[in-house]
Amino acid sequence: MSEDSNTAASPTPCQDIQGDGRWMSLHNRFVSDSKGKEPDVLFVGDSLVQLLHEFEVWRKLFSPLHALNFGVGGDATQHVLWRLINGELDYINPKVVMLWVGTNNHGHTPEQICGGIMAIINVIHQKLPHAHTLVLGLLPRGKSPNPLRERNASVNALVQAEVASLSHVSFLDVDPGFIHSDGSIAHQDMYDYLHLTPQAYQRVCQPLHERIKSLLDKHAP
Amino acid sequence: MSAEENPAAAPASVVDVQGDGRWMSQHNRFVQECKDAEPDVLLVGDSMVQLMQQNEVWRELFSPLHALNFGIGGDTTCNVLWRLQNGELENIRPRVVVLWVGTNNHEHTADQVAGGILAIAQLLLSRLPKSKIIVLGLLPRGEFPNPLREKNAAVNNLLRASLPRLGPVQFIDVGGSFVHSDGTISSRDMFDFLHLTAGAYRTISTALHELLLQLLEEMPQERRASLV
Repeated sequence: MSEDSNTAASPTPCQDIQGDGRWMSLHNRFVSDSKGKEPDVLFVGDSLVQLLHEFEVWRKLFSPLHALNFGVGGDATQHVLWRLINGELDYINPKVVMLWVGTNNHGHTPEQICGGIMAIINVIHQKLPHAHTLVLGLLPRGKSPNPLRERNASVNALVQAEVASLSHVSFLDVDPGFIHSDGSIAHQDMYDYLHLTPQAYQRVCQPLHERIKSLLDKHAP
Repeated sequence: MSAEENPAAAPASVVDVQGDGRWMSQHNRFVQECKDAEPDVLLVGDSMVQLMQQNEVWRELFSPLHALNFGIGGDTTCNVLWRLQNGELENIRPRVVVLWVGTNNHEHTADQVAGGILAIAQLLLSRLPKSKIIVLGLLPRGEFPNPLREKNAAVNNLLRASLPRLGPVQFIDVGGSFVHSDGTISSRDMFDFLHLTAGAYRTISTALHELLLQLLEEMPQERRASLV
């Protein structure tokens, strides 16, 4: 699929329709933050990344790894792509980049979303040739079975297959089993059936933390 | 301004455009909670309310007051009005209702938004004649001065003037400390220049909690028998 025809893989800034310029403020802050810091790990993606920074689990597990968080709520692959091309990777040299995005790509097919994620992986590799990219699988969403769960599962299968042959990328499924036997997701895990509660973040971050640490250890001289 | 004239006072459910029915799932859960719980305090509104429950401050300050949280991210006054008219006030008699909504009403003017909030307050007073209402002012937003800050401030001014006339309704503005002298809002208070960090929730919750304690103390607790 050519990148021209896939809007999920065309870098696109977020339009300020609301009127307070918050998306651009966040992007600019990430760029300027990156000028002063030397993170070993960079987290990039949507609200699932952004909100992680606001809970205790960040301070406990990821701050000690010298991590920066460039998550923006609402971002789809094309927005993250734009941000990474336009400065957010220019002043840092992390060893590991954790990428978690795709659930907000409404209107895109799983193939398009996978294309968007691969485009991001390529940009990261171009700008940071020595970094390892860890792509997280999209979580299920919605209280009951629905098309978005199927879409996200398809994206995961496609991405996992595409990155299998790349030595600088790995795929991690961080779903600890949010879907119960009756097909439901509990609000104790996702308070709005999309975003994670602090307890759910704990469950997701255990394997994530382990994997990042092992990637950092491998990267060490 | 009547509901016919004010679109911000017209009840409206959220249409499921994304495809996973999350808004209705949350509404249904709240309706079910009304059947099971006996809250003394009900908080209702948008993500500002919803996210409060994901912070430590909820467990420390609001759970002990037997509070229920009916916040849904993205909600406008129209959505909150619809939810309250469609089951979220059934079978419960909270002594105090805290209402915090309006910042997502992007299609509406400040006058309309204030009118929408007033309509919700009126609904609450008519459905819960023995309850007191606290309306929280809209917070400033955006990193720098921008039209939404002016709009939210205008809504607050209108509310400040008109809410007390409705009855036992108090207006409190907890946004006073967020805009610095250079006009900026810090990401230490609002991580995305809209939503509050844990620290900022702690700041605003202290004021809200104090007011809640005060109001709850002023109101004699109804014996359960009298509710039948």
